[in-house]
Amino acid sequence: MIFWEIAKRNTKIHLLRSFLAMLGIVIGVVAISTMGILGNSMVLAVTDSLHTVGDSVIVTPHTGGTSRGFGGGGGGLTSLKITDQQLQQIKRASAPNVAIPVLQTSDRMKFGVGQNEIVAPIYGINPDDVPDLLKLTDGGYSRAGSGALIGSQFAKDNNLKVGSRISIGTDGDKGTLRVTGIIEERGMAFDVSTDSAIVVTKDWFDSTYNRDDYDKVVVKVKNLDDLPIITAAIEKQLNKRDKVVDVMDTRKTMATIFQAFGQITTFVSAIGGISMIVAGVSILNIMMMSVTERIKEIGIMRSIGAQRREVMSMFIYEALILGIVGSAIGGVLSLLGGYAVSSLMLQTTKYLLVPSSLVSIVYGVSFGIIVALVCGFYPAWRAANLSPIDALRHE
Amino acid sequence: MTDPASDQPVMSFRDVVKVYPLPAGDVTALDHVTFQVDRGEFISIMGPSGSGKSTLLNLMGCLDTATSGDIYISGTRTGDMSDRDLTNLRRDRIGFIFQYFNLFPLLNIIENVTFPMMLKSQRSVDPERGREVLRAVALDDSLFTHTPMELSGGQQQRVAVARALINDPDILLCDEPTGNLDSKTGAGIMDLMTELNRKGTTIIMVTHDQHIADYSHRTIRIADGRIVE
Repeated sequence: MIFWEIAKRNTKIHLLRSFLAMLGIVIGVVAISTMGILGNSMVLAVTDSLHTVGDSVIVTPHTGGTSRGFGGGGGGLTSLKITDQQLQQIKRASAPNVAIPVLQTSDRMKFGVGQNEIVAPIYGINPDDVPDLLKLTDGGYSRAGSGALIGSQFAKDNNLKVGSRISIGTDGDKGTLRVTGIIEERGMAFDVSTDSAIVVTKDWFDSTYNRDDYDKVVVKVKNLDDLPIITAAIEKQLNKRDKVVDVMDTRKTMATIFQAFGQITTFVSAIGGISMIVAGVSILNIMMMSVTERIKEIGIMRSIGAQRREVMSMFIYEALILGIVGSAIGGVLSLLGGYAVSSLMLQTTKYLLVPSSLVSIVYGVSFGIIVALVCGFYPAWRAANLSPIDALRHE
Repeated sequence: MTDPASDQPVMSFRDVVKVYPLPAGDVTALDHVTFQVDRGEFISIMGPSGSGKSTLLNLMGCLDTATSGDIYISGTRTGDMSDRDLTNLRRDRIGFIFQYFNLFPLLNIIENVTFPMMLKSQRSVDPERGREVLRAVALDDSLFTHTPMELSGGQQQRVAVARALINDPDILLCDEPTGNLDSKTGAGIMDLMTELNRKGTTIIMVTHDQHIADYSHRTIRIADGRIVE
């Protein structure tokens, strides 16, 4: 159609002007898409690093709300450990689901003569409960007190394998453990983060550190719909009079985390959207300039029989060309932008080409085209509604 | 729209008044103007500046509407027509020739000439028809793919005439068609007009050059919004 051809040629003939208008759109699309990719990559990175799949209720001693520090202070109605009696209450409240008590500390350890001592977290878990909580990539679960499971990162960092020995305490004063299994990588988790830790039997932990209480209890819930019911039941059982324990529904917590990330992504994309609005104003300005320059041409077209809608279509096409070309360039550059930002901020680009990241580019490109069209509409409407006589008289 | 009948006046003004409402008071540009143009006539309209020539041309070209009175183009009353219908009437029945040629700089000569045809057919057209009309106005074939800026004033005006003729209009409306040309080139354009009229094209031409008006068969003189002769 001739009006499409005129729009195309006009865009080409005013190349610098068209380029500047497109540049705004390009920047807008890149800003929106890159921020979207970054936000989505952050969510995916966190999802990957969080092992918890939202099937647990974590019970920890209540620590918040007072001037008491994390490990300090004492007295009052709250305790910083979970007692055996409280464990039984938790088990009753969460039955028939499994409630796994977990002990936790950190200690010095050494792996051989001449090696440096390191400090690492140690978890104490009943051997019967370990298979419910941890999966192994090598070796097997051990019931023997001198056996230990180690995290995959821990094994890699310290060059350990099944059968290796670990001396616990200063100069091994707390004894030596033999590695019986390597725990599958779990990343950061709400229950136990074992990647850089060792897991020993509860009995060994109790006797070595003189403990008869627990640091947390992990309830593995089979039916996810029961999560809020069990959370409420534990709260009711233990926090009847005073808040003794904090009860965390991991699914709810994860949902909160993802919601927060979603809001951050929306917010940063909205900041990108501001640049798109600036681009839109630029297009509006350039299109108005184009209309003003071509008033006489519009008058001639109208006088020889062009309908208003045809004149309008010519300017809409022009805006569409600016929008499509600018958005397409912006879309391609968004991939580069996403690559750069992901590399810089997340140290990985593995989330760049996943559909949920690429959809940010689709959004950015669509928004770019829509903004160009919306901003081109008023100048086009104005051109179409010029009086042919006034337009013909225009110099 | 009615079909043009050969015995019907191609244009008819009946008691037409055009008043421009201005803040300082209404200005009557045309005051009870009545005339008619028969098919095949060659008419010139003359008058001093501010006499109402341009207003008359705008009304004849359906670019404006009368305050009162009736205007008929090929038997069709234009007063009650919508903007869409008036635009179609301009496209199908009227050919415009302007003083400053007014070709589209982004289109080449063939595209300029076939532009009204494309408006009418709503699709791309056979450029051969454009070539035929351009040859009829004596434009060299080698210029057909050039842009207007590459042509002389006389050549551009020939292209403008070809564009005005492309949809076989009932009337050719010319606004000072030689006003921007030297006398020799202007004479060439007027010879072309005369030839077109001889072949049956109705021409109405606004001019203030008596020498140019002499090419026409009848002159309507206008002063203070009234036809005086």
